[in-house]
Amino acid sequence: MTALAVPARGRSPWRMLSVVVVTVIVVAAFWSVQISWGRLADLPADIGRYLWLMFSAPEWSKLPEALWQTWRSIEMAWVGTVLGILLATPLSLVAARGFGPLWLRGALRLVFSVIRAVPELIIAIIILSVTGLTPLTGALALAVNGVGTLGKWGYEAVETVPPGPIEAARAAGGSTAQVLRWGVWPQAQPVFLSFWLYRFEINVRSSAVLGLIGVGGIGDMLTSYTQYREWSTVGMLLIVVIVVTMAIDAASGALRRRIMEGPRAR
Amino acid sequence: MSAAQAASAPALAIPARPRRRAGVWIAIAVVAAITVITCLPAIGVGLDIAPIVANWRNGATKIVELLTPDWSFFPRTVAPMIETLQMAVLGTVVGAAISLPLSFWAARPTNPHRAFRGAVRTLLNVIRAVPELVYAAVLVAMVGVGALPGIIALAIFNIGIIVKLVSESIDAQDAGAIEAGRAAGGTQAQINRAIALADAWPAFVSQTLYVFELNVRASTVLGLVGAGGIGLLIDAVRTFYRYDQLSLIILEVLVVVVVIDLVSDAIRRRLV
Repeated sequence: MTALAVPARGRSPWRMLSVVVVTVIVVAAFWSVQISWGRLADLPADIGRYLWLMFSAPEWSKLPEALWQTWRSIEMAWVGTVLGILLATPLSLVAARGFGPLWLRGALRLVFSVIRAVPELIIAIIILSVTGLTPLTGALALAVNGVGTLGKWGYEAVETVPPGPIEAARAAGGSTAQVLRWGVWPQAQPVFLSFWLYRFEINVRSSAVLGLIGVGGIGDMLTSYTQYREWSTVGMLLIVVIVVTMAIDAASGALRRRIMEGPRAR
Repeated sequence: MSAAQAASAPALAIPARPRRRAGVWIAIAVVAAITVITCLPAIGVGLDIAPIVANWRNGATKIVELLTPDWSFFPRTVAPMIETLQMAVLGTVVGAAISLPLSFWAARPTNPHRAFRGAVRTLLNVIRAVPELVYAAVLVAMVGVGALPGIIALAIFNIGIIVKLVSESIDAQDAGAIEAGRAAGGTQAQINRAIALADAWPAFVSQTLYVFELNVRASTVLGLVGAGGIGLLIDAVRTFYRYDQLSLIILEVLVVVVVIDLVSDAIRRRLV
């Protein structure tokens, strides 16, 4: 059988330049990074050995404790989501074109994008100076972090709503609040609900991460047992994290599809 | 509108609202109940204003420190920041290299074997369920402190994202070109190489750049669990409560993230 000829791709100078720059950066990073390359040779065998230690006989006797800590993590995620929604929704309405003054819109959008650029762990480190290493710190960090994403999604959703009902509400003499309630909300509601659920999914993942700095929950338990090198418990904890995260994603994803597409879809 | 006009305007007749179905009220009640339960101190997060009020001063001085960055700390942050970027670059390269074949195995047009495709997709769903910092924390205990566990954690994290997005774009590809390849007598491997790869390439490049942006953000905190980069320094300054130094690091992270996003956007436009 003859080989299938692959058509040649067009060559533009910009493409060539980008390829060269990317290659140089990658080679420089490989060449300069501080890694003991000797370790890489035994790495696959090592990782295989650790995977065996973790998953060959997971330590199920600590499961109740793990489930309790998972519950604490999910609570953190839930409270963080609810607080984030309460903070972000009014802000995102004010940040939408047509509803807030220009200077306020600009300022809020800048705040949203700055928050999005800061990892939630750093936000938690700032907040823990006030609340200490408690689950509340985790929830507050998730809430603040959520303002960045929910705020952006919110004003984008309000701005992409078809303008007809808004004009109609305005023409009928509605105040800004009435226009938002009757012109925007009925149209944007499914999008908002679906964003909130999606943010909850993100927060479930992040709440496990926040535990790593000691605010409690499953991440906290995972770090402790990793530090004790109790691999069979670590394996059990990873299984719990994976199962819980996938279950919540599946449930929330099904709800989101139902909200966006209606009960008869699929 | 003058007062007289306002008074003479007829009252706005609002049509009766459609009755809400019971399901909506039940949903609202469930959400409210869960929120109350999660806020209880005994089994919840203990949403309590008292410690916030009591420690407000503490927080206020920290915020003042945050607003006055310690610029003299800058020279010590340069080397860790470079290591952070190295980790982000290498994690992206390794992750993208492993993702390319996996994406083809996870997509229907390029992998007709149902069971094999299902196995690849399930494995990736499992990989995606674990956050990158959890991978990093476990890997640090396995291979030791440094950039290596960070790079591996980022690579695993990237495989989860790239394979999902690229295999979805392959699934959405125009079936005509692949049928033409099959009609011309190409084997599956030849079709994948000559047709599907050419079609998937722009998606692959742009997703790779996207995960690079994610990696720059993620790699700044990987050090908090011991995986190298600027996060190690964040961990050190937070132990000593040096919020003025922390503030400088956050500013640097912000600048680096914004610059990388701009550069990667520019490259994406040239390449795709």
